[in-house]
Amino acid sequence: MTIENVVLQEALAPRFGVVALISTALLGGALIGYPLAGATEKPISKDSAKSKAVVVKEGASLFRANCSPCHGLGARGGGRGPDLTSGRWTHGSTDPAIFRTITQGVPGTEMPANGFEDSEIWSIIAYLRSLAPPKRPIVSGDPVKGKRIFFESAGCSNCHMVNGRGGLLGPDLSRVAAARSISYLIDSIRQPDKELSSGMTDPNNHYGLPLVYDAVTVVTAAGERITGVARNEDTFSVQLLTANQNLQFFLKKDVKEVIHEHKSLMPPYSEDTLSARQLQDLIAYLETLRGSEEKGSKEDR
Amino acid sequence: MKKILLVGLLLATSANSQSQVTYERLLSASRDPQNWLTYSGRYSGWRYSTLNQINPSSASRLTMQWAFQVSDVGQFETTPLVVDGVLYATGQNDRAFAIDARTGRAIWRYQRNLPEKLQACCGMVNRGLAILGERLFMATLDAHVIALDTKTGNLLWDVTSADYRKAYTFTVAPLAVKNELIVGISGGEYGVRGFIDAYDAATGRRLWRFETVPGPGQSGHETWAGDSWKTGGAPAWITGTYDPDLNLVYWPTGNPSPSNYGGERGGDNLYSNCMLALDADTGKLKWYFQFTPHDLYDYDATQIPILIDAVWAGRTRKLLIQANRNGFFYVLDRTDGKFLFAKAFGDVTWATGIDQDGKPVVNTSLKTSPYGTRVCPGALGLTNWYSPSYNPETGLLYVATSTECDVFTSSPQPYRAGHDFLGSVYVPDPVERPTGALKAIDALTGVEKWSFPYFSNPNGGALSTSGGVVFAGDSDGNFIVLEGRSGRDLWHVQLGAAVYSAAITFELDSKQYVVIPAGSALFAFALP
Repeated sequence: MTIENVVLQEALAPRFGVVALISTALLGGALIGYPLAGATEKPISKDSAKSKAVVVKEGASLFRANCSPCHGLGARGGGRGPDLTSGRWTHGSTDPAIFRTITQGVPGTEMPANGFEDSEIWSIIAYLRSLAPPKRPIVSGDPVKGKRIFFESAGCSNCHMVNGRGGLLGPDLSRVAAARSISYLIDSIRQPDKELSSGMTDPNNHYGLPLVYDAVTVVTAAGERITGVARNEDTFSVQLLTANQNLQFFLKKDVKEVIHEHKSLMPPYSEDTLSARQLQDLIAYLETLRGSEEKGSKEDR
Repeated sequence: MKKILLVGLLLATSANSQSQVTYERLLSASRDPQNWLTYSGRYSGWRYSTLNQINPSSASRLTMQWAFQVSDVGQFETTPLVVDGVLYATGQNDRAFAIDARTGRAIWRYQRNLPEKLQACCGMVNRGLAILGERLFMATLDAHVIALDTKTGNLLWDVTSADYRKAYTFTVAPLAVKNELIVGISGGEYGVRGFIDAYDAATGRRLWRFETVPGPGQSGHETWAGDSWKTGGAPAWITGTYDPDLNLVYWPTGNPSPSNYGGERGGDNLYSNCMLALDADTGKLKWYFQFTPHDLYDYDATQIPILIDAVWAGRTRKLLIQANRNGFFYVLDRTDGKFLFAKAFGDVTWATGIDQDGKPVVNTSLKTSPYGTRVCPGALGLTNWYSPSYNPETGLLYVATSTECDVFTSSPQPYRAGHDFLGSVYVPDPVERPTGALKAIDALTGVEKWSFPYFSNPNGGALSTSGGVVFAGDSDGNFIVLEGRSGRDLWHVQLGAAVYSAAITFELDSKQYVVIPAGSALFAFALP
């Protein structure tokens, strides 16, 4: 990773989350450019005579243009896609498996199928293999304690669901480790307002942006204030999941005001409520949540 | 036997004359509101109709008459044409169809067999057909121009304009003028060298080409550093307008390539982001006006040029007005391209204003760097290609707008034929999810009269009528009827998918219809 990329990651990585839908819809399209050297016109393959450095550079360029909106510049995880430098590959770690994941996408997730040429995919894989292990926060916690924190002491499960168990208000975290970097998870716990999660996207609105998981307060004609998250909203209506986890629908013409609070409904967990030790335990638990892979987690072994 | 044949021929002739759309008929389209004959409804680009059955008193009684859907998911950016009870439109992946405008039943369907690897930046879209005589004309994603028979959809001729393998594509609805079809190329994201072509409607023979990036020896070539002109972009992907008295076609152009890195294309980069006035017979340039010289933010000028005659500073002048993607509303003299006036119609940070010569006063405190710069409007513009509407009765221009600002980065990028050539990554500014609005602005002063807020940034345009209403569509699937003078919501309905086009209207059996594309379907409404 170049210095420039590091700076860019700091400047832009938190912002890539909102653009992911467009990048999917317009992959290789108008939104994302090739800021570095382009890939070669000649097909390359794994055994090409081309120097490894050149292939890696081409892969970096392709990655930055097409993948970084979700996976972050430097592949260290963005708002939507997982960190690809962790050495853990939820959908297969061999080159052919990664190749397949790139071409076919991952059904049931936000990872789309991609129309790269084979040579381009091999260069992206070469780039990913070239990345030095990042300076990752060391996860030294105990996932068993973390699970108790999640479901008991910290009350995370009041709002978040894991594998069918828990609340409805916040995002389902059943495969959060496959989709979010550790630093993102820490930020989400300590400073939930720092970057609001994306809500539902409209597959028919190719230039639109996902809804934001922010607190929305509807002030009814009678003056009652009802707060929740907007499952959906348009020019004329809002579909709220209220703080007490009921669906309530409003026509904007019938209410006094619809206020977007631009903050999360989730309270920040400071060191006073969640010690550094407890945070480590909680992160260690969240790191086991990889969807169908969970049975392979440390806890179950 | 001979007699029978003769009778048959006579019948065929009379049926043909019914669907003949002569050039004279196109010229008088404003007096033929029963039909919708061109992309913008008339040569002046107004997207306005004198029909008035649907008005503020009746709009709330609108009822769906029919819907028409295609089999795959995509976006209809089409503007349908309607001639004597038949509606002609296009859909994604270069399909075209004719339908009975009363019932919504298809008469024929045409589907182009497109090559597998096509580069189209923004969806496999098409914006519609042109009609002349008994022929329909379509510009295709593989950079051909084709003619179809109005009654059957049979292919009559097919000519190649450019090489799709180098990412030359057409998405534009052709403009029929006299005996010719005028089209402009797409591909500004891929470093094409833009052009505007005219083809003979009878044979498909190319009559002229205007290259929007001048080559060596041509005027304007000096505005490109080095060889940058070869991949200079300046596509021309929205349908122009036409003044028959001046015999001038007004055709806007898009961004220079690469759109967001200017380091290797020093100069003003003519004729990117311009309004071009071309002689309709020869394609010769009469004048040009460049809105955004040396653009770094993808501010295509590909918005409809609207032609109005109005009193300006004490005398009647032939004007051209345009709400530009760069955030400024412009008034030009369309006889000579003289700049008369400009005013921002939303938040603009890239320039602090427009000087007396029409040149932007670029905000020098905004430097594009590899580290990102927040710029308003964003790359999708304060407005975009979706059509505005001009209503001569209110003197208002109705234009859909977006609040999106973007963080731009910029860095050099080598050109590869047929591949993205943008020179940057840009991302929406994250502070707030962008919204939109339909704004009514005074067509001579640019002063905003009202603004109807949309929840999301728009992709749909507007249609206004003598009924005193504006038809609009938002990105969340709402078809909306607003009062033209106030912006009051008269009626709306949810159609289930984003609107990517603007409505049209026509009259059949003494009944006013309005048709709006949404998602990959058409919906027709009328009073019960």
